[in-house]
Amino acid sequence: MKDPSRIYRCLLLVASLVTVGYLVGAAVHENYLAQWKVVQHQYQDILRQKATDDRGRELLAKFRVEMKQASIPALGAVDRCVTCHNGIDDPRMTDVEQPHRTHPGHILDKHPVDRFGCTVCHHGQGAALTFREAKADDVFWDYPLLPPEMTEATCVTCHDAEKLPPDQIPLLTAGMKLYQQKSCGSCHKLGGRGGALGPALDNEGAKTKHQLIMTSLRPPHTTWNWQLAHFRDPGGVVPDSQMRNPTVTQREALALAVYMLSQWKRDIPESYLAPDKIEQKYRALHPTPLTGEQVYQQYCNACHGNGSYSRWDKKFKRFVPAIRGVSLVSTATREYLQANIEQGRPGTQMPAWGPHAGGLLPDEITGVIEYLRAGAPTAPAMTALTLRGDPSHGLSLFLRNCAGCHGMNGRGGLAPEIGNPVFQRAATDEFIIGTIRNGRVGTAMPAFQRPEAPTLGDQDIADVLAYLRTLGEQKGRNAIAQNVTLSAPPGGRP
Amino acid sequence: MAETATREFLHNLHELPHTVKDACFRLGKTPESEREESQATFHNLFLHIHSVRVHVRTLKPTLTFGLGLMATASFVITIITGVLLMVYYKPSTDLAYQSIKDIHFTVSTGRFIRNIHRWAAQLMVLTVLLHMARVFFTASYKKPREFNWLAGLGLLVITLALSFTGYLLPWDQLAYWAITIGSNIANSPRELTDAIGITKFFDPGGFQKRLLLGANYVGQDALIRFYVLHVFILPLALVTLLGVHFWRIRKDGGLAKPEDPMGGLAEWGGERRAVFQPLATKTYGLMALVKGKRPPVNRGPENTVMSWPHLFWAELSVFMVTVAVTLILSFYYDAPLKELANPAIPENPAKAPWYFLGIQELVSYSAFTGGLLIPVIVVVGLALIPFLDRRPGGEGTWFGTRSERAVFWQSFFFALAVTVGMLAFTVNYGWLRNWFPNIHQLWIIAINPGSLLVLIFAVWSLFILKRKDSVRLAAVSLFTCFLVGFTILTYFATVHRGPNWHFYWWPSQWPVH
Repeated sequence: MKDPSRIYRCLLLVASLVTVGYLVGAAVHENYLAQWKVVQHQYQDILRQKATDDRGRELLAKFRVEMKQASIPALGAVDRCVTCHNGIDDPRMTDVEQPHRTHPGHILDKHPVDRFGCTVCHHGQGAALTFREAKADDVFWDYPLLPPEMTEATCVTCHDAEKLPPDQIPLLTAGMKLYQQKSCGSCHKLGGRGGALGPALDNEGAKTKHQLIMTSLRPPHTTWNWQLAHFRDPGGVVPDSQMRNPTVTQREALALAVYMLSQWKRDIPESYLAPDKIEQKYRALHPTPLTGEQVYQQYCNACHGNGSYSRWDKKFKRFVPAIRGVSLVSTATREYLQANIEQGRPGTQMPAWGPHAGGLLPDEITGVIEYLRAGAPTAPAMTALTLRGDPSHGLSLFLRNCAGCHGMNGRGGLAPEIGNPVFQRAATDEFIIGTIRNGRVGTAMPAFQRPEAPTLGDQDIADVLAYLRTLGEQKGRNAIAQNVTLSAPPGGRP
Repeated sequence: MAETATREFLHNLHELPHTVKDACFRLGKTPESEREESQATFHNLFLHIHSVRVHVRTLKPTLTFGLGLMATASFVITIITGVLLMVYYKPSTDLAYQSIKDIHFTVSTGRFIRNIHRWAAQLMVLTVLLHMARVFFTASYKKPREFNWLAGLGLLVITLALSFTGYLLPWDQLAYWAITIGSNIANSPRELTDAIGITKFFDPGGFQKRLLLGANYVGQDALIRFYVLHVFILPLALVTLLGVHFWRIRKDGGLAKPEDPMGGLAEWGGERRAVFQPLATKTYGLMALVKGKRPPVNRGPENTVMSWPHLFWAELSVFMVTVAVTLILSFYYDAPLKELANPAIPENPAKAPWYFLGIQELVSYSAFTGGLLIPVIVVVGLALIPFLDRRPGGEGTWFGTRSERAVFWQSFFFALAVTVGMLAFTVNYGWLRNWFPNIHQLWIIAINPGSLLVLIFAVWSLFILKRKDSVRLAAVSLFTCFLVGFTILTYFATVHRGPNWHFYWWPSQWPVH
């Protein structure tokens, strides 16, 4: 009779050999081929070469091949980077290859590794023991290692960027300036101040790659790389982005990316904060008002440009009015401008800028109105019309002369929306009449009552006005609803 | 006198190695005769669950493919590695993730051990499912094995629960969102109670969810509950039921086999001769089983061999194969560990473990029907099989009765076409909610791709019942449909479902995160 268990004994032999083989393989892999052990043996050789004096010999004798870590519970960090970066605090190691080299600069003098660790500044996965996992570009880790030049983004975790020497944080300083110069605040909120078109940026640095659209980003798929690419070409990174191309150089993009990465409200124990950081927190609660010009540059410029000309915006699909145009500021009253700034223009991209919306202080709104009106000629005496208007005749005149640009029912198109409630409330009869009569210099709005060839008579203007006033009631409700949908920030996640 | 005692003491001391060895290994040597072989078997607690002799068919690899044994071996591996992991794991939401990272990075061979634990668990789920299919298709659930089929079903449920509870423990994004999905499935009766408006008075869904999580969200309470279930309650339940399962195999006469598996003939002394058939009504005792110097009862040809060593070689080899497979997988593929759990950033898509993805696909149509109703129907249906199909025949043979194989293939292609067609239709045209946005939710609970699939499979099985006039064939058709449907749904949800549960041909087409 054939041996019934022969096949099983063969199978057992094979399986046992495979098992033993893989166990031995795993043991070798773990004990002899571990990256950090190889690195530490290299470092030991370097120490041996450099052991020319007593101190060097002492360091060599003290060196042990073992796992090293900086455990900082207060920062939630267990950083094992020093397991491979053995030479970071040894000043003799400036001429050796990474990972053995001395830490550049004098940063470690004031930030010893055993108190601060590494990842609070550099990010990356501190617990890892291989470089690939520590760098964490393509592993599951929220904050991958920052490139060396971008590491200054994390200084503000404990410091006030404005109090640090600018030469220590060149990119961050440049980024802060660019943020103001490029008028990013026109669309984005930071510290509670800014427009509502784009997402608020207060915790931009805390975002993980899962909160950003990485589809068309070339690897590495990291947040810092996303920021860099996004500043070069917003629409190319985020499809349908409303953001205009900030037209920056590579270095400026880097500076802005660093500034964005620095926006991270991390919960850090107070003992780690520099005194100026605490003052900065106090200052944020008691802001100093900006001048009118500063406000205009930081919060208006992105859409309105210098304000002298109206402009067709392709992305908004609407005209952006010339808010510093002579004819506007000479006809518009202070109250009209104030209402438009504080409450915005519902139904358009113009957000509200009052203290509870865009976060501008009352003084700043006054300041920016002054700035808008600066240099405008004294307002011509505006004559009210005592004529009684006929809305139905006004409608026919409106359709013939105005609807082409202002749209049916004044819902806007090429020209501003004049049916919306804020306009209807804030614009006086005199303002509207003056505008129709004299037009808007620097815009497409013609004068309808030029002295040499008046298109509309006084009675006609009164009729149009009467018609316009009927729009207020019709439009009020829908426009507000529309504004709610428009001002919702485009979601970070797809 | 004293001198004698001293001598005796010294003698005993001298003999100590032998006496200890004799006490531990009572046989004291490799068994040489069949009598000793049988002693080796029944003197050992762990071996005595086997009979002393087994039928030669038992050793045929293609009869069982060792699937049940593989599942057991995987379980033993998870127990051993699991205990090792317990030494380092900390079941707290603050520490769990870091402790897994430490196991990965700093514990000696920690990553390897965690990988083995993970792969053995996956292998266990897979082999338990395949084992069930084997038992079904070899008709091994029939009398007297009905109870063991139920025990096996219980083991399947416990296995899935063990794997699922283990999912949460790393406290990473994968864990957090998979368990969120799972707890929402537990919550799914609410879909029904909401639809008929009685949630305020009767809320079994909310109760189930709170029972599972200990809170209304996945947090520390849920973690501790899952931990206790995973390391204590469920393994204990599984070991107990496994003992019953093994004991029943022995009591039910070993592996299922036909009445007279080899035509009453056996090879003996170079020729085929009739086999001695023990009478069921007569007690033979040990004498009947062992060849030796005493009067033999069945000296002559037989189709049984000694369990020691043949069966034990077979079992040991299957065990070692399982070990080898998990080691190879663990060496090359790390167990996943995503980012730290973050309730603010949902995984998209958040997918349950693979063996629940078929259910998740059904849940995407209707939470109640897919998450609760259909699984309950399936489990109850499986439990009823041995009680509805009671006609003996075909035991221990793959597709044993007439035309079973034909019905299997017909049902296979029928279920394949219906499931794929249903999925294709749903992906292309949507379902009731897309066509009638204001339709009452009850309609969707009642009529959705999942419930329709169950209905179509049931009708098909009734059709086979009528047409072939055989309960067994109807059962084969239904089980095949279930198996094919489960496999396709699992595959479909694994590969073709992407962010927002939308259809994608390949994961590479997902908007990358």
